Amino acid sequence: MNIQHSGEEKIPVGFDGVWAFVTDPESVGRCFPEVLDVTVQDPTHFETTVKVGVGPVRGKFKLKVELLPDRPKRRLDMKISGGGFGSTVDLLAGADLVDAGDGATLLKWSGQAEARGPIAAVGGRVLDAQAEKMIAQAFGNVRQQLSA
Amino acid sequence: MSIQAKPLYSVGVPMKRKEDPRFLQGKGNYVDDLTFPGMLYLSLVRSTYPHAEIKNIDISEAMKVPGVKAVITGKDLEAAGLGWLPTFHGLDKQMVLAIGKVLFQYQEVAAVFAETRAAAVDGAEAVQVDYAPLPVVADPFTSKTDKVLLRPDREQKTNHIFHWEVGDKDGTARALASSAKRVKQRIWFQRCHPAPLETCGCVAYFDTMGRLQFHVTSQAPHVYRTALALVTGIAEDKIHVISPDLGGGFGNKVPVYPGYVCAIVGALKIGRPVKWIETRTENLTSTGFARDYHMDVEIGATADGKVTALHIATTADHGAFDAAADPTKYPAGMFGICTGSYDFPVAHSEVDAFFTNKAPGGIAYRCSFRVTEASYAIERGMDILADELGIDAVELRKKNFIRKDQFPYPSALGFTYDSGDYHKTLDTALEKIGYTALLKEQAEKRGRGELMGIGFSTFTEVVGAGPSKHFDILGIKMFDSAEIRIHPTGAGIVRTGAKSQGQGHETTWAQVVAEELGLDPQTIMVEEGDTDTAPYGLGTYASRSTPVAGAAIVMAARRIREKARKIAAHLLEVGEADVEWADYKFQVKGVPAKAVTMKQVAFAAYTNMAQNEPGLEATYYYDPPNMTYPNGAYVAVVDIDRETGETKVRRFLAVDDCGTIINPMVVEGQIHGGLTEGFAMAFSQEIQYDAEGNNLNTNFTDYLVPTSAESPHWETANTVTPSPHHPMGAKGVGESPNVGSPAAFVNAVIDALSPLGVRHIDMPVTRDKVWRAIRDADANKV
Repeated sequence: MNIQHSGEEKIPVGFDGVWAFVTDPESVGRCFPEVLDVTVQDPTHFETTVKVGVGPVRGKFKLKVELLPDRPKRRLDMKISGGGFGSTVDLLAGADLVDAGDGATLLKWSGQAEARGPIAAVGGRVLDAQAEKMIAQAFGNVRQQLSA
Repeated sequence: MSIQAKPLYSVGVPMKRKEDPRFLQGKGNYVDDLTFPGMLYLSLVRSTYPHAEIKNIDISEAMKVPGVKAVITGKDLEAAGLGWLPTFHGLDKQMVLAIGKVLFQYQEVAAVFAETRAAAVDGAEAVQVDYAPLPVVADPFTSKTDKVLLRPDREQKTNHIFHWEVGDKDGTARALASSAKRVKQRIWFQRCHPAPLETCGCVAYFDTMGRLQFHVTSQAPHVYRTALALVTGIAEDKIHVISPDLGGGFGNKVPVYPGYVCAIVGALKIGRPVKWIETRTENLTSTGFARDYHMDVEIGATADGKVTALHIATTADHGAFDAAADPTKYPAGMFGICTGSYDFPVAHSEVDAFFTNKAPGGIAYRCSFRVTEASYAIERGMDILADELGIDAVELRKKNFIRKDQFPYPSALGFTYDSGDYHKTLDTALEKIGYTALLKEQAEKRGRGELMGIGFSTFTEVVGAGPSKHFDILGIKMFDSAEIRIHPTGAGIVRTGAKSQGQGHETTWAQVVAEELGLDPQTIMVEEGDTDTAPYGLGTYASRSTPVAGAAIVMAARRIREKARKIAAHLLEVGEADVEWADYKFQVKGVPAKAVTMKQVAFAAYTNMAQNEPGLEATYYYDPPNMTYPNGAYVAVVDIDRETGETKVRRFLAVDDCGTIINPMVVEGQIHGGLTEGFAMAFSQEIQYDAEGNNLNTNFTDYLVPTSAESPHWETANTVTPSPHHPMGAKGVGESPNVGSPAAFVNAVIDALSPLGVRHIDMPVTRDKVWRAIRDADANKV
């Protein structure tokens, strides 16, 4: 099933600070919800293991992440794919970094995911809400880390 | 000499099931109970994609998982000539493990063998498969366009699998065109799954003689043996198939599944026993589904409701492979029974089947090959016709029933119905349910705006496949067999080519032997499922055990009786011609006091046989002359909550006519079970796929199996019209309640909603669909 969500986070840090953070695989990886480990391969690729629980479907997901930064456009895209326990997800997330004045940056994000397997079977009932929560949590973590 | 009266427990007596103490005390012996030294476990890697090219399979990480011994893929099997498996009716083949691409979600992609079940699962999880997604075809109507070709491996470059038709096409069209009344409705029998409580599984190993010992959840062990010999090239004498206790089958355990082949390959490759047991999700998502027929039903009638013609055009969704377990010459099974209990002068039926990116199957889920679909179509169709003509559904049925004096009845679609008294069966139901009072109550409730429905299903089945001139599987004719051995003490053993999955053969077969030979059924042991000991048979499905194997038992027993007569003559010191079998003993004609029992004869067969051949045993292979045609009249009474759409089945009465009844308690148990399945299909069960090909019903929280808490109270009764061609007059009953009941439930719901103008709702009639129908009807009124 297809899932689409979007939102924004206001971060009290200027563009350069935010950009440096979100294009660093280790930092971004640690912002994934319920992250267990992050293995950085190169400046734009990392693998991570996260705990996933959607309704009765619970387990670990291994995800491969590719960062696609476009500094001139002040945009970061992220391709995430992987899965576990017979389920897979393909996720495309993107964020535009907009100057919010007062040295703050607005992170305008959107994401679309396709889920397959038992996790998709849980489907319309809880997956959509859960996915939204997880994506929002990830970008919330970025704000939190940078605000600290 | 002492005289034995009619055995206390013989045909017609509600003897308690001999197998139940074992089952109820948890002492059954199922495949997963088996353990052998050095046994490995198999876990299958399954596709998460419904349709995708396989770019690469990386097993390196899996091989590092502690305990993993081996991983095999489709390429490995292909190299060994085991890449593909023929489907049972021989019209298609199925990948064992995916080769090149996957065609449905949860398709088998790789097999992992490990020391423990957990290690096998961890190993399967560690196999990395790179997929390149392909466009998904999730329904047969999209498939029909051939825009995406699913099976380039086939010679025919189309998703269309077959067109099958029967009947008089032009005559039907002419009769419909000239009919005063025509009704037409698309009726979908949704994709269901038999969901036996015990999932499929096996243990395979090669013994010290190099012989394959294969313990498997199979409804047809001999067919498995032959199929394995054909597929693997192992000589058939080197294959021993044992099907132990089965926790339900319902058709799901007829096909040969990839897991079985992988277990055998693993056992051969590694040299150790291999066990494979499906998870619930694997069972629901990859093994034989049932139904998924989209049926365009058209009935013609005179203005006063006499039917003139029937046409049904069906679009069938067969999934990724044509794995429907139908007899070779019947790709749409017995769908031709769709004229039902009614005297249609002319009819035409056609089925077109298509591949989709869904699990393969189309098995006979507790029905004799597509009979449930056919019965549902005609029974819904008759109600729609009654509604449009403004005639009571009972009156319309009675007006069109095949009359008692018309049997044997040649149907418009080529069957010869053996016997029946449909008016009597329905009248019995009407009287027992109190139809007149229910109609009065309904009229009063309708006056108050309440929704009460009375639904009928007066179905006719065709079961007991089947006569060798028409029926085969993989070329093997669909006879069945029995072997009876009577021991010196008068105890005995009966073996058949059938295989009980809970039907109670250990009891009923003993009763049949007891009836024929005047012996105590408690001392007749029944053994099935072992290909080394049982005579060759085609197994248990399609309600064929009693019509075919049951008949073989009767005939084998009668052979024993003929031999016993010679020994009785010796004991009675008369000529054989002077001995007759009467009152369950051999007696001298005209001198009933001078008699010997079978028990006495049995002892003599081993101790005092004179010039006769010693021993007392016989084998019989029974080739049925015709199918049997059980029928029934079912009535459902429902109340629907107008605000929530909740349907309460207040009463359900099943009057069955299955011919001679061997054990009324076993028959009643069969009917309770089948009605519960019909109830589940009517109100909740559906294997759904979303547009992307995801299976949405992968476990028992999403695919509901009702317990006694959810199920209505079942009322049952019988009429008895024996089959004229079965040696005992029995027709079989196992499938009638599953076949007959869905229409009764749905007809009751639609009857309740008919004052609102609702004409049809496809199953399952969930409260959600009912609530929407009520809301839409109310909206239209405003």
